This record gives sequence, structure tokens and C-alpha cells, in this order.
Amino acid sequence: MAEVEIVSVSKAFGRTQALSDLSLTIGNGEFVALLGPTGAGKTTALRLIAGLEQPDKGSIRIDGRDVTGDAPADRDVAFVFQQYSLYPHLTVFENMAFALRAPTRRVPEADIRAKVQEIARLLHIETKLDNKATQLSGGQMQRVAIGRALVRSPSIYLMDEPLSSLDAKLRGELRLELKRIQVDLGATILYVTHDQTEAMTMASRIGVIEGGRLMQIGTPREIYENPVNAHVAARLGQPAINLLPAALFGGAPAGAETIGARTEHLTIARGADGDVSATVKRVEHLGDQSHLHLDVGGRPVVTLADPEAGFGAGDVVSLRLNKPLFFDARGWRVAA
Amino acid sequence: MNELSASSRITYRAVMVRPGVARRIRGLSDKTLAWLFITPTILLLLAINIFPLLWTIYLSFTNYRANRANVPTIWLGADWYRSILTDPDIWAAMQVTAHFVIWTVLIETVLGFGLAYLIDKKFRGHGMWTTIILLPMMLSPAVVGNFWTFLYQPQIGLFNYVVAFFTGRAASSFQMLGDVTLSPWAIVIVDAWMWTPYVMLICLAGLRSIPDYIYEAAEVDRATKWRQFWSITLPMALPFIMLAVLFRGIENFKMFDMVNLLTGGGPGSTTEVASITLKRAAFESWRTGYSSAFAIILFVTVFGLANIYVKALNRVKSR
Repeated sequence: MAEVEIVSVSKAFGRTQALSDLSLTIGNGEFVALLGPTGAGKTTALRLIAGLEQPDKGSIRIDGRDVTGDAPADRDVAFVFQQYSLYPHLTVFENMAFALRAPTRRVPEADIRAKVQEIARLLHIETKLDNKATQLSGGQMQRVAIGRALVRSPSIYLMDEPLSSLDAKLRGELRLELKRIQVDLGATILYVTHDQTEAMTMASRIGVIEGGRLMQIGTPREIYENPVNAHVAARLGQPAINLLPAALFGGAPAGAETIGARTEHLTIARGADGDVSATVKRVEHLGDQSHLHLDVGGRPVVTLADPEAGFGAGDVVSLRLNKPLFFDARGWRVAA
Repeated sequence: MNELSASSRITYRAVMVRPGVARRIRGLSDKTLAWLFITPTILLLLAINIFPLLWTIYLSFTNYRANRANVPTIWLGADWYRSILTDPDIWAAMQVTAHFVIWTVLIETVLGFGLAYLIDKKFRGHGMWTTIILLPMMLSPAVVGNFWTFLYQPQIGLFNYVVAFFTGRAASSFQMLGDVTLSPWAIVIVDAWMWTPYVMLICLAGLRSIPDYIYEAAEVDRATKWRQFWSITLPMALPFIMLAVLFRGIENFKMFDMVNLLTGGGPGSTTEVASITLKRAAFESWRTGYSSAFAIILFVTVFGLANIYVKALNRVKSR
């Protein structure tokens, strides 16, 4: 394990700027998640660190050594691909042992066997070792792909949306397992995802990336509670943050054009005696809680409500803001 | 009012074309209908494939001669088979065929795969090179046979000139088609020239079917290019290579046209592949019964070998 530094890296594909001036340091033993929508440049960042792409500008350092021009093999990184990319003609065992059998490593066969079996147990695929890689279910294939990375002890594990092709239940299980394994092994992981739950639950730090730029990096709490701009704020929170014109409510600080109100920033009461009155448009019952779709001065607002409160469509309610977030005309945060 | 009449019309029509009713009216079950569709094809196949085959098998047990149709046909049993399988001339022809098949398939596979591997690297202009390489296989074997006869011409032939240029020997000092040691190789060279592109095309399809991310994974797994080739490229392209070998093998086992044009089996019988022997027996000596028996022996040989081979191919595929 080692520290990985990305220093002002830029990368363009043809006329598309995939990454602009990205700088990021992943500390030893840290789990950093890159969160962003499709096409934000997350995968490009991973591929640059792995050496599968070369940056146009900037440098990449692993453990203090500049590896910018090095081939993937010389970088000591492990990569978990989104499409599994198992070797289809090999068994699960052979797939996992593949990297250990590199001639330059000279790992004794007995050690390879022991290591593969240990990791297979960790991932609950120890009974599948003799199966063909193509005879597995999606979840099992993804475990093998993760296992193939885990048998090595590289400087850093690079994971490109490894759980995105799995169903929700399996995703939840593997999320927990992956976090447990990372803590057990003290592994350094850079994890790319567009799923805020994965980022929030697993990462020690989250980097929010958008349009090839790193918007903000910090602990999940920092990112959630103190987003630097409206983009970052919109990435986290379920239901998503409501962005409303400041003029709708009173008491906004100077320069604030937009109010960002998450569900915890909104207090709802029956009747019309709050800051602003709203109409209930629709109620989505989720069991333990309800999503309330409101109409505030012609703008949609979604918030959570206790099912016990018994709101129904057509009800008139009042909203009170409770320390919301303020953003200026260009979306940047304005102090309250 | 309009809506109502429209909907009632639709219901009425739906009743009319209900499949069960239609079937009862015409008395056709799905199965009958299916037979009706495939019967013409089956009849055609029976007429042009199965009947000639059965007729050939029958003739191979008789003394029938196509040029003496009024001579009464006598049943000979397995006599022809016995005499063919113990005839040294037949075994010589089989050896010539084996030499031709083994060397052409070997050369075409190695060169074809090599070319495919290079073309797959997607260098500048690889599309144009693919087209150029594919040209020979688009020509007619008759054309190829004729112009290689010119290329092999000792006095004016380009082939002899090129060999002479590189070896320093006189161009007219050797005859590719007239020399007993060179002529078996002359036909191998022409076939390799013509059909290597075909093997390349199939191998290229195999190589293109290996996704890039497999190589990327291997790259990150620290596999050298050499190891990537042996443990990824070759095993994953192997079913395609084997398929190309099968096609070329069957095709060259029954090679006739090109060799007939180039050497006509000569000099002597050094390039007399099995199908030339067969053609001579059938249409020069008019020994129809005898040649039928030989044809059946060839057929069983190819069929048997191909079957064993396809089993092996399936094993590789399911690996």
C-alpha cells in the first residue's frame, strides 16, 4: 500500500476535454470515492492512474515515484473493471491466480494456491474455484473480478463501478463486504461510482467530479453538510435537494440567488401560518416514511414526511426554513 | 355512434380470422402447414443430393460403364473396393493428396493467422491492406491456374525471374511445373497464395471478437505481450483457427480445378491428387463402377476425418 498523488492532470479525447487540471491525493489505507454523473471523467481518472491512458498534462506519483510514463505493469496497481473482464476460457482459480503467475513475480505455486483460497473464502466463492468464469452469475463474476485484484497487494486498488451491474440486494451485500475487506486489509482504494449511497457508506473521503473537474473533496459529512456549490449539493441526499429562488423566501443573505433546501431544512405544518404556504400535489408512501411532492409558488418541492402526519393531495401546508444552504447566481455557496 | 360501429366491426373481423376457425376451415394443422413449406426443399435435396449419392453407392458394386449403357449390369459385390484399397497407384494419389492438404493447410494457417494478427494491430491504412490481401481469393481458380502457368514459365515467368534474382541461378535452369520434385510444391505455393487471405479473414474475425478490456486487465495484471499472446490471444482465437483449418482441409482434399489447370496431375503422376485420378477413371477410362467405389471411399474418408475434427473443435469451444 502506498500514497497516490495526481498532480494537475488533464486529458482530452479528440475535442472532448475528459479531465481538466485534476489534483487529488489518496493517502495510504484510505478509501476515496469519486462520485459524479456519467461522462464526468471518473473512469478516465482511474485509467490514467492505471496507465491505460496517458495524460496530456500533469503527473501521477505512486509512493513518491513519478510513474506518469510507465506501462500499467510497472505501476503496481490492481484494477476492477465495470464489465468484469474475466478471462472467459480460464477457471475461477486460474483467473484469480493469473496476476500471481506473472513470470517476473516468481510466486511459488503453493503460495498462489493458499492466497487464492484465502481470498475466495473472503468473497464466498471458494466452492466455485473450478468453474469456468463464464458459468457464473453476475454477482459471482463480479466477486471473481474483485478477488482477482485482492490476491495481489498492490499500491492501490482502482475500482470502476464494480457493483453497478448487480441487483439492488446483492449490491447492498457486496457494499458491506467490500468495506469490511478494505478495513481488514488496510487497503488503499480509489472507487468510482455514480451511486451516492455507495460513496457515502464506504468512502472515508468523497471527491465530487463534474464536467472533468473536481468540484470538492472531503469526508462524506463535509460534502453533505457543506457543499461548495449547487452541483455538489445536488449529488447527495435522498430525495434530492430542492433548489428554489431566494426571492420566494425572505431573509436570504446578500448575493444569494438560490436557496438549497434539503428535507431536514424544511419544517412542515398544517395551515398557512409559516414562512411560505404550499399545496400538497402527491404523496408517495415508502412504508416508514413518505415523499411529499409540494407546489410552492408554481415550483416543485420534494421532502420527507412522517406517514403518521396523514397529509393528502390538495392539503394546504406551510413551510418554514431551518438553516438552509444559499448559492449565488453562478451556483457557488454563499455563507448564511 | 361512429365509435360504436367501428368497435363492432373490429370485433366481427377478429372472429373471422381467429386461427382455430381458419384452421378448421382449411383443414390444415400447424404441422401440415410446416411440411407444406419444407417439402419442395426436401424434394429438391433428395433429387440433387441424396439420390445421386445412393445411385453412386449402387453403381460402386457393379460393372456399370457410362459409355456402354446397353451392356448388362452385373453385381460385383465389394470387388472394386478390394482392388482400390490394394492398388499402389491409388495409394500414391492419396499420398500426393495428403502432401498437398497438409502443407497448404499448415502454410495457410501460419501465414493467415500471422497476417490477421498484424492487420488487427490497426496500423495506418490497415483497411486498404486488408482489401489488397483479399484479392487473390476473389479470383476464379481457372484464372489463377492459368496465370500461374505463365508465372511459372521458365523463360518468361515472373516467379522464375524473382527466384533467379535472389538466388543467382539462371531463370530457365528449373521448371516449377515440369520437375518431379518441384511440381508438388508449385501447386502448394499457388494454393497458399490464393487461400491464405481466406484463413486470415476467419482469424481476423476471431481476433476482433476478443474485447480490448481483456487485454487491459492482463496489462494491469502484469502479463507481458508474450504471455498475453499465449494465454489470451491464441486460446480465444483457437476455435476460429480450427474452423479455418477444417474449411481449408475439406476444400483441398477434393482439390481438382486449379491443379488440373496447372499440371494436369503431371509430370508423370507426381501431382495427381485423388480427384484427378478419380476424374480420369470416371471420364477418360469410363470405369463408372470403379470410380463410384473410389468416390465413396474418398467421401467416407473426408466425412470421418471431418467428424473427428468437429468433435475436437466443440471440445475446444466449450473449454
